[in-house]
Amino acid sequence: MSTKKPLGLVFFPAFDWAISATHPEREERLLYTRDQIVEEGLLDLPEIREYKPCLASYKDIERVHIGVPDIASLITNAHLVSAGGAITAAESVFKRETARAFALVRPPGHHAMRVVHGTRGFCTVNIEAVMIEYLRQHYGIKKVAIVDTDVHHGDGTQDIFYHDPDTLFISFHQDGRTLYPGTGFIEEMGSPNAFCSTINLPLPPGTTDDGLHYMLDNLIIPILDDFKPDIIINSAGQDNHYSDPLANMAITAQGYARLAEKLKADVAVLEGGYSIEDALPYVNVGIILAMANLNYSKVVEPDIEKCPRQSQRTTAYINNLVEKWRGVWSARNDMKRQAIVKAGDFWQNRRSIYYDDSGINELRTDTVRLCTHCSGYFTIATEAEGYGFKTKSAFAAVIPRDACQACRSGAREAVYREKRQGKYGNYFIQDKQQDVLEKL
Amino acid sequence: MLLGIDVGGTFTDAVAIEEGRVTAQSKSPTTHEDLLIGILAALDKILPDIAASGISRVALSTTIVTNALVEDRTDRVGLCLIPGPGMDISKLVPSEPYLLSGYIDHRGREVKELQQAEIQAACRCFSGCDVYAVAGKFAVRNPKHELDAAELINKACKPKHISLGSAASGSLNFWRRANSAYYNAAVWRQFNDFAMAIERALAKRGIIAPVFVLKADGGTLPLKSAKDQPVEAIFTGPAASVLGIMAMSQTNQPAISLDIGGTTTDIALWQNGRPLFADRGAVVNGYPTAVRSFRLKSVGLGGDSFVRWEEGQLRVGPIRHGPSMANGGNYPTVSDALIVAGLMDFGDAERAYFAMEQLAANVGQSPNEMAAIVLSAAVVKLKEAIKEMLEEQAAEPVYRVEDIVHTEQFLPNLLLGVGGTAEGLAPLVAKEFNIPCRVPKGAMVANAIGAAVARPTIDITLRADTERRYYTVAELGIQQKLTDRSCSLNDCYEIAKRHLEDRAAQACIPVGDIEVIQQEEFNIVRGFNTTGKIITNRLQIKPGVLVDLTGIETEEGLV
Repeated sequence: MSTKKPLGLVFFPAFDWAISATHPEREERLLYTRDQIVEEGLLDLPEIREYKPCLASYKDIERVHIGVPDIASLITNAHLVSAGGAITAAESVFKRETARAFALVRPPGHHAMRVVHGTRGFCTVNIEAVMIEYLRQHYGIKKVAIVDTDVHHGDGTQDIFYHDPDTLFISFHQDGRTLYPGTGFIEEMGSPNAFCSTINLPLPPGTTDDGLHYMLDNLIIPILDDFKPDIIINSAGQDNHYSDPLANMAITAQGYARLAEKLKADVAVLEGGYSIEDALPYVNVGIILAMANLNYSKVVEPDIEKCPRQSQRTTAYINNLVEKWRGVWSARNDMKRQAIVKAGDFWQNRRSIYYDDSGINELRTDTVRLCTHCSGYFTIATEAEGYGFKTKSAFAAVIPRDACQACRSGAREAVYREKRQGKYGNYFIQDKQQDVLEKL
Repeated sequence: MLLGIDVGGTFTDAVAIEEGRVTAQSKSPTTHEDLLIGILAALDKILPDIAASGISRVALSTTIVTNALVEDRTDRVGLCLIPGPGMDISKLVPSEPYLLSGYIDHRGREVKELQQAEIQAACRCFSGCDVYAVAGKFAVRNPKHELDAAELINKACKPKHISLGSAASGSLNFWRRANSAYYNAAVWRQFNDFAMAIERALAKRGIIAPVFVLKADGGTLPLKSAKDQPVEAIFTGPAASVLGIMAMSQTNQPAISLDIGGTTTDIALWQNGRPLFADRGAVVNGYPTAVRSFRLKSVGLGGDSFVRWEEGQLRVGPIRHGPSMANGGNYPTVSDALIVAGLMDFGDAERAYFAMEQLAANVGQSPNEMAAIVLSAAVVKLKEAIKEMLEEQAAEPVYRVEDIVHTEQFLPNLLLGVGGTAEGLAPLVAKEFNIPCRVPKGAMVANAIGAAVARPTIDITLRADTERRYYTVAELGIQQKLTDRSCSLNDCYEIAKRHLEDRAAQACIPVGDIEVIQQEEFNIVRGFNTTGKIITNRLQIKPGVLVDLTGIETEEGLV
């Protein structure tokens, strides 16, 4: 046995939790994965150490989320365990017990945004974001890179870190014009103060390991090298697999394992992946072995011949995408200055957000102060209407960790001003400096 | 009358138990070069006191398998693996395997066929091997490939024995089953020679009672069945001691038990009147196996542990330099400290005082003060190990939300002690945890008592896939059609129970209490419809003791 530190593995299949009986996010989802992991004997290897997830606290969740009217009424214990699982995984790395960690947990989280009205894209609590903010609070890390390898755009994670220049969010996914949630286009690059800290790489249906690894080698890895993060997180969705029933990509277990090997993420967190029998057992074994620095060359799906080849058009598209993004990345500082100048004192974004699982439509307006001393406070105005309730609304301000005095008081004033007018049902101040979510 | 024999590291003990009493007991030195000599010596010492014809059962806890491994007297094994896709375990097994193609997937479906030509090539590769082991991935879901391969090997080279991974365990873990099958084959001849010698020797003494062998999980196995599964008879010493504790001290409280030997102390945790099991199996020769065993922690600290100063630090164990000074040894030990502290009374007390004086010379303390220091160091060591074990128990992963949210903390409220110096040392440890301590009488021959009264057990795993309409019982090597597609968890329990009863009958084991070790039920959903269920029922004949010996009276004079 080598004296190197093991891979930390938090395996939590939540065998007693489902969104509904036949929903893709149901008890059985990780059953076959459990079977494969246990049958392989992975949990007996000295290179792998299994951890029991802790329970995240509501405070941990509220460091990220603003639940309307409150987060406790919107989530179940399963969410506290899965967020806790991500925290346990990351802490094993920061306590230097493990070299890297993988939180193979459910329910997933990357569609959950800062404001939560219900469940969307099977997610209610953004477990990566909760983990990252926990690490920032307890271990003083600053720069974080998230690489979201789920087939769906990680719109929740993007939303949470959209105004944060210290969090680089890179998501590749099947093109939003062809798949839920219908976002994640190149133009979504972060608000001006955090310009280019959001990088979206929409891929055509049918992209294979070749296209993915071309993009990884020529774009994602070089960007990570430039950004020099304190920690790399992988939102390790597995629905880019050729057998996934909810998407149309063509990645294999080998493709995923090689990705994990190259990315060298400090912590990987499971997201989607609904080919529960044909993909997940193999993809997860591949990722675990790769992250533990073990040989994964024999992890091949029995039906590998069903994996399609990549079309020339797709190859050309990806080459072009990579080229374009390399240009943007190298010109990012100039582009950022221009964006700030163009926006003036405040940058505003208005959009509607769809909660497929809860049947809710939300209208949200974000306003960011483009401060020259800090990353700037921002406010969120939200109105939701849906089944089971008529409307819910809230107005919130977020004080960033590095907030200057002017932004601190500006944020508070903005909320009090709205409260006096009384247009909204709930008022919040999420103060990252004081580590508290205040409900007014 | 029940006869129990325990082959320990130093002594071989024999006891006879009748009507809840130990009616005869003896101790003879263990003869490592030929265990049978010591066993028969211990047996012959008690035979004059009992009637051979009155013996209803002989149970044996022996180190024959452990010895064969430690002394490297195992046979070369033709190890054939059918690994399919996944982790490459070919470097992680005890000998270089021959890899066969073919694959059974997690649902028990044959994805790729076995190749006959490869098996013939494997037999050529292993020419000269008398024993083979075959293990396939997911063979517990469908043993077809293992059975077919065994048949082809039989045809090709007629080995004396073939061990199958699926027969070793019905639980998932291909790596462990492969190692189990390997070791089962490797010790097969040694064990069978021994078993035949025992049978002959007993017959010669007019003992016709059935013979059972103790397993690492505290159950007994008829010798006839043990001949096929000899690896199960490994690590029976600690199991025997645990069973002895169970017989002499029946308690339903959460408890800690300490078996304090000369060199080591074995710690076990107890819940609902029985010790906790090791989750996945025992480690044999550094290789994880599927052999079911108790969860034990061994600490290098016992009555004979050598006590000395090292760079200003008092060190206790793990070294042992022979017996305590009170018992004629040359070095101070924990036992000597116990004698000086007035907690034990045996051997030459003056020598014990001398031992403490010798130690104290370095720091200028009285023998009494020195003894207290030695004991507190010994207690700290045991306390740390127990704490570690409790922490490990609390950190054991669970896979349901309910089990995380409502975790029941294991809080022991009793300490049980057996072994030579338990009477002196165990109460000191109990005091650290603020819990009462119990040292049952007869603790000196606890292991032999444990073997004598251990219940026979067997277990089986039934897994049904109602969508595919079949079920398997890996341990029996069967895969059968399910007649009823709407088969429930309860229906499957009934089928499993029938198979367990049949298996028990074949092995001449009384069924007694059946208990569920593991039960799972999952819906299989295709699209948005439930198309079937995956049901697992793992049952066993409840292990335990045949006789309650809580009011035991032993004839201390015989020890």
